[in-house]
Amino acid sequence: MDQETVRTICYLARLEIDKEKSEKIQHDLETIIELIGSLQNIDTSNAEPLFSPLEMTAFKHEDIENSDNRKDKFLENSAASNEDYFLVPRVVE
Amino acid sequence: MSIQFKSITELRAMLNDKSISSSELIQESINLAKRYKALNCFVTMNEEISAKKASSIDLNEKTNSPLSGIPLAQKDLFCTEGLRTTCSSKILSNFIPPYTATTVKKLEDAGSITIGKTNMDEFAMGSSNETSFFGNVHNPWRKGYVPGGSSGGSAAAVAAGIVPAATGTDTGGSIRQPAAHCGITGLKPTYGRVSRWGMIAFASSLDQAGPLARTAEDCAILLNTMSGHDLKDTTSLNIEVPDFLSKLNESIKGLKIGIIKEFNLSDLDEEVQARFEESKKVFEKLGAEFVDVSLPNISASVPTYYSIAPAECSSNLSRFDGVRFGHRAQDTDDLNDLYIKSRSEGFGDEVKRRILIGTYALSAGYYDAYYKKAQQVRRLIKNDFDHVFESVDILMTPTSPSTAFEFGSKGTQNPVELYLEDLFTISSNLAGLPAISIPHGQVNSLPVGLQLIGNFLREDQLLNVAHIFQQNTEFHLAKPNMENFK
Repeated sequence: MDQETVRTICYLARLEIDKEKSEKIQHDLETIIELIGSLQNIDTSNAEPLFSPLEMTAFKHEDIENSDNRKDKFLENSAASNEDYFLVPRVVE
Repeated sequence: MSIQFKSITELRAMLNDKSISSSELIQESINLAKRYKALNCFVTMNEEISAKKASSIDLNEKTNSPLSGIPLAQKDLFCTEGLRTTCSSKILSNFIPPYTATTVKKLEDAGSITIGKTNMDEFAMGSSNETSFFGNVHNPWRKGYVPGGSSGGSAAAVAAGIVPAATGTDTGGSIRQPAAHCGITGLKPTYGRVSRWGMIAFASSLDQAGPLARTAEDCAILLNTMSGHDLKDTTSLNIEVPDFLSKLNESIKGLKIGIIKEFNLSDLDEEVQARFEESKKVFEKLGAEFVDVSLPNISASVPTYYSIAPAECSSNLSRFDGVRFGHRAQDTDDLNDLYIKSRSEGFGDEVKRRILIGTYALSAGYYDAYYKKAQQVRRLIKNDFDHVFESVDILMTPTSPSTAFEFGSKGTQNPVELYLEDLFTISSNLAGLPAISIPHGQVNSLPVGLQLIGNFLREDQLLNVAHIFQQNTEFHLAKPNMENFK
């Protein structure tokens, strides 16, 4: 791992790391990657990945109509909104 | 009569014989929270609504619910309608949820009263409660020492006797490890037993909500209410929930308890080992038998977890973008800049570290080597558990390799040092199994916890074994001296 990789991962994660913390982050990531890299020594050739401990198909439920419109409540939590929408910086010129 | 350090069962008896009203009880609980403000275990109090609910219970008192009028604290990761929910993060420091988590709703529908929301590691990422935006929580047993994490505020509030019980969540030990460090009882149920709806997700295939309380009996009361199928959570199990309370007091004669060979306990502090050996003797006297068992892949639990949990975290936390809720950065150039600045200002260092690890593990070219590989090892770990539960009823380990430690003394230079705190607890999350931590003595005047891991959906057995232990020992009755926190 190098600083270029750190910058790429930061961009993918939409995070910015202060310059003075960047080396420490690189070092931390290397240490953690080394830890999880130790799994390479384990033979998993016959092991199917276990993505959830339940291993069941998610159940389905009836699609029940709900008229409980709480738009105002949801919009209240946004730092910028009008009466119908969340507002963000202009995306179309 | 003081209500401090009383269990749910004791408070119920006081309410029933009218030696206290619900209003008096709630007021007293809130007064205790204020008296011990220096613990920093609450992020937000719910004083006015609590008083109103208590008064309403006093007026309409006919109820059979054991939780009616009982004060509880909720980890600040459960959404509570109209009551600020922060996950102890700057990014959610102004978030007022428009709905209430199923678990909290069930507890409140049963008459319990949420007196406040408890401090925690930011987004539950930590084992010491030192990553909270709202500051460290002190361990009631020793000022300047960690309460454990991530449910550190909940554990401290119960240990200090402010509330008889609190909710927590456990992704890699976040209920059990703080319960151990604070000398109380904490249960992580089977994955799917308790609804995750309305919990702010960290790692969706590992997260599970559960109770922290003074006794296993109180945990059974809470689990009875918290459990059950929820249409809003597609991983919620649609199976009958037993009455956990009625399963207590069954003899444990002939119970087979497995000791995991791969956890080399002789590496631990001698006093921690001594407590473990003493507890084995207690169980032997009660008729249990010990069997050495092997889980060949369990030592890989920590690296497996630190690949899977950050991967799920990086995906779950992508929703925090400053647009619909949470902190939004000012003076941004465009939408992308708004995302980057809002997230960078809003998340703390440990959360950023885990998001970055997860992003790396899931990125093109690394997915198979890190994420898929970890899920394959997870399969091997689960297979090991399936195999040992053919020959034993439960497994027993220390909850944590050490007692509570001083603020800032672990993990500051090397994060992996703190990750190893979770050595004994992580594997049950990976396999989805229930596990409980109970206090079993002290080392240097700080509590140590004993972990019991059960087979899938066998919380009844775990709670019974823990209850029988507590009926025959007094470790769970020890109380910290709270003079230092007034």
